[in-house]
Amino acid sequence: MQTLSGLNDSQWKAVCHTGAHLLIVAGPGTGKTHTITRRIAHMIPSLKPNQKVLAITFTNKAAQEMQGRLLALGVPLNKALVGTFHAFCLKLLRDHWQETALPKDFKVAIPQDIQGFDKAVLERIGLMKSTRLVIEGDNEYKTYQRYLRKNNWIDFDDILREALALLENEDIAHQVRACYRHIFVDEYQDTNIIQNALLKILTQEGTLLTAIGDPNQSIYGFRGGNVALFGRFKDDFPGVRELTLQENYRSASNLLAASCQVMGGLELLAKLDAKGKLVTHEAASDAAEADYVTSQIEKMVGGMDMLSARGAYRSLGDIAILYRLNAERHVIGQALEHLGIPYQVSQKVPKPAGYSDEAVLGQFEEELDYNVEKVSLLTLHAAKGLEFPVVFIIGCEAKLLPLDIHAMKGDPQEERRLFYVGMTRAREHLYLTRARRRQLFGQTWFNPPSPFLADIEEDLKVYENSKPRRGPRKSEEAEKQQLKLF
Amino acid sequence: MKFYADLHVHSKYSRATAKNLDLENLYVWAQLKGIHLVGTGDFVHPVWMKELEEKLEPAEEGLFKLKDKYAKSMDAQVPKACQAKVRFMLTVEISNIYKRLDKVRKVHNLIWSPSLEAAQKVQAKLGAIGNIKSDGRPILGLDSRDLLEIALEADPKNIFVPAHIWTPWFSALGSMGGFDSMKDCFADLTDHVFAVETGLSSDPLMNWRLKQLDPFILVSNSDAHSPSKLGREANIFDTEFSYSAIYQALFDQNDKGLVGTVEFFPEEGKYHYDGHRLCHVRWHPQETTKNKGLCSVCGKPVTVGVMARVEELADRQPGQKSKRHRPYWSAVPLPEVIGEARGVGPASKAVQEAYRKMLTQIGNEFYILLDAPIDQIRRLAGEVIAEGIDRMRKGEVKIAAGYDGEYGTVEIFKDGERQKIEQQLALF
Ligand SMILES: [Zn+2]
Ligand SMILES: [Zn+2]
Repeated sequence: MQTLSGLNDSQWKAVCHTGAHLLIVAGPGTGKTHTITRRIAHMIPSLKPNQKVLAITFTNKAAQEMQGRLLALGVPLNKALVGTFHAFCLKLLRDHWQETALPKDFKVAIPQDIQGFDKAVLERIGLMKSTRLVIEGDNEYKTYQRYLRKNNWIDFDDILREALALLENEDIAHQVRACYRHIFVDEYQDTNIIQNALLKILTQEGTLLTAIGDPNQSIYGFRGGNVALFGRFKDDFPGVRELTLQENYRSASNLLAASCQVMGGLELLAKLDAKGKLVTHEAASDAAEADYVTSQIEKMVGGMDMLSARGAYRSLGDIAILYRLNAERHVIGQALEHLGIPYQVSQKVPKPAGYSDEAVLGQFEEELDYNVEKVSLLTLHAAKGLEFPVVFIIGCEAKLLPLDIHAMKGDPQEERRLFYVGMTRAREHLYLTRARRRQLFGQTWFNPPSPFLADIEEDLKVYENSKPRRGPRKSEEAEKQQLKLF
Repeated sequence: MKFYADLHVHSKYSRATAKNLDLENLYVWAQLKGIHLVGTGDFVHPVWMKELEEKLEPAEEGLFKLKDKYAKSMDAQVPKACQAKVRFMLTVEISNIYKRLDKVRKVHNLIWSPSLEAAQKVQAKLGAIGNIKSDGRPILGLDSRDLLEIALEADPKNIFVPAHIWTPWFSALGSMGGFDSMKDCFADLTDHVFAVETGLSSDPLMNWRLKQLDPFILVSNSDAHSPSKLGREANIFDTEFSYSAIYQALFDQNDKGLVGTVEFFPEEGKYHYDGHRLCHVRWHPQETTKNKGLCSVCGKPVTVGVMARVEELADRQPGQKSKRHRPYWSAVPLPEVIGEARGVGPASKAVQEAYRKMLTQIGNEFYILLDAPIDQIRRLAGEVIAEGIDRMRKGEVKIAAGYDGEYGTVEIFKDGERQKIEQQLALF
């Protein structure tokens, strides 16, 4: 049983489960990818020659990583198709284009192709396409679809909708199910209703589904991700067995405890010996916050001059700075720039030169440059799935976390989960920083601390250059105001 | 021709450097020190590169000179006895910080370029990778091996030299941020490195103790952060005055173009011994071993210096020489010798005046330190200074070794000795 070593009890159960659908609830750092790849490898021997496993990942990068891991586990490439929902569906459309309403040479339009439509209109149509199975009586939608077809285009959302339409053809659905006897879906908390419908069709006639995810990390509700599907899993996929992975191998214990408190008392077990360090820091302004963050980085990396080298043991790639809005990035970026500390901002992959399916599929993903180490600057959303020894979350202020600025208002629960996702990126050292005064969108904001901070027990926090709050917050704020008068 | 070269300096665009560290002052100080070829430093920095393009013009193959209109205005600052031609070579230092084999590595490396085009190619490649605008010695999260590859791709005639290879925090073999061997650091490209810089805290004698360093020729430079620190260490060439000849002298195992090096007494360097500067703990490596490496004041591990690190990696007995060995001359900067002779600090006004006078009457600093007849020095600068230089040449100096970033301190004369020498003189 060599393939089963290196697994804890619950992971082992998840790997060996047979005979029914499986839902694995896996918290951050609980060995999700490890478990899913081991389970795939474990199932391969039971497949007949013409059968395969389908493994669906959230990003192309995750797909590549999983392929690498499967290869290392000895899984032959022809026994597992690994890719995103979009990659899989596009392949279906290409393989069976005769059965679709599409021309043979249809292309997937990229956003730059679309001309003559309002951004807001396109956003509304996009959200509709990922949240509604049937769209009727919407004229803007109809005009837009006609425009696409006239150009032999489908858009990114259409890939899934057209595949769903294709699978209504029972012959094709049957063929696909006969081939893929096991389907794996990663990041199930961020699937949308179209993807859910696809899975329901694919898992008939005995094809089994293994879904893995964490409802507490669902952060894509604003673009159609539907965390309610998690709760509905039993109804959608009857007979499902549910397993939970609780042992966290990523975060030091204090960091994990604090993260769980933010989520109202989750139960995750810290498996690392280290306690780690959670620092909160309040700065007078966004510029002062940036100074603090960069001085901490200089101390850790110590590359800047001989004397600051003492005790420095981090390299640049160990460090990430996370924020809610890209607009927060400017000040911190300038401070890093000024000090010559290399950093990189995750960004969308540049427009591909050609229009290959592969290039088109990667277009919405953010990518980091891994050949050169740099401090990473990421939105909390872009940090999903990543981990770093040291994480700074800047702008831990009301109005930003949860987001409530002008027309930008996040769902408070989803904002909380987003903060939790950010916190659980850290392995050893987590800094939660805030500024009393911040320039944002041409306006000066005076924000109190994010309410999420108050949910973290005082004993877990180390205050740097700011006094710990004792007693009720209001009276101390008042005290500070008074002090300012002198 | 015989010439002195100092090929690791910085510009005013590097962090923590003097504001007057520009081409004009390098031109002046090179002459005062007796250096004929000096590095430009920092050529990757865009503003500095602009200055190089503006103020330098091609001279001998691969070398540059300060245009007359800039040089003329400075000539008054150079005493006649020191005046000589000065050439520049394109050089830069890069600070590589990266993780390799699960350990954070911090390695400084030098790149020397044969032409502006080659330098600009290096600049373009590094500019695409990271921030080269904020610091003349840019920090890049790039593997040293990859930097070497970039340098060679930019121009195969670029010379790549690992800098001050023993510095604990920032070097290829350093105790804290380095590797145990050059092979570990440069992997498949190790053969493309043919020279290494010994740094102030080690001399050739120490480096000869490592068989793994046999393929490399040892070079020495000042790493000056201000013009007056030029030439603390330097290379002596006797070859054609051109980039190609220098390349050949370093690259070719049989070429004798590099005659030798001028060295600091290694004890004078900032990292010779072990210890903690802030705790005032200065330890010989044996002391460190006795204390299990932990500081007796704060209890944390002491910074392990160069002497201990060399001992750790050495596989030859002290005194044996490596194949590519060259002679070297240990020297103490002249202001320090004068200060010792006068019993005052090297920066004091009296020392600076005497220093100027010697440069005017005798010649450049290297000439005074290494070549000038002692009699001549005695006549023009007095008995005590002459005796100090004589003792320095014979290696009869006592040095409280540097440690953990603190320079070592030189003692040439014991208390009361100066007067005795002067009194003896009075007897005649
Ligand atoms: Zn250096
Ligand atoms: Zn100490």
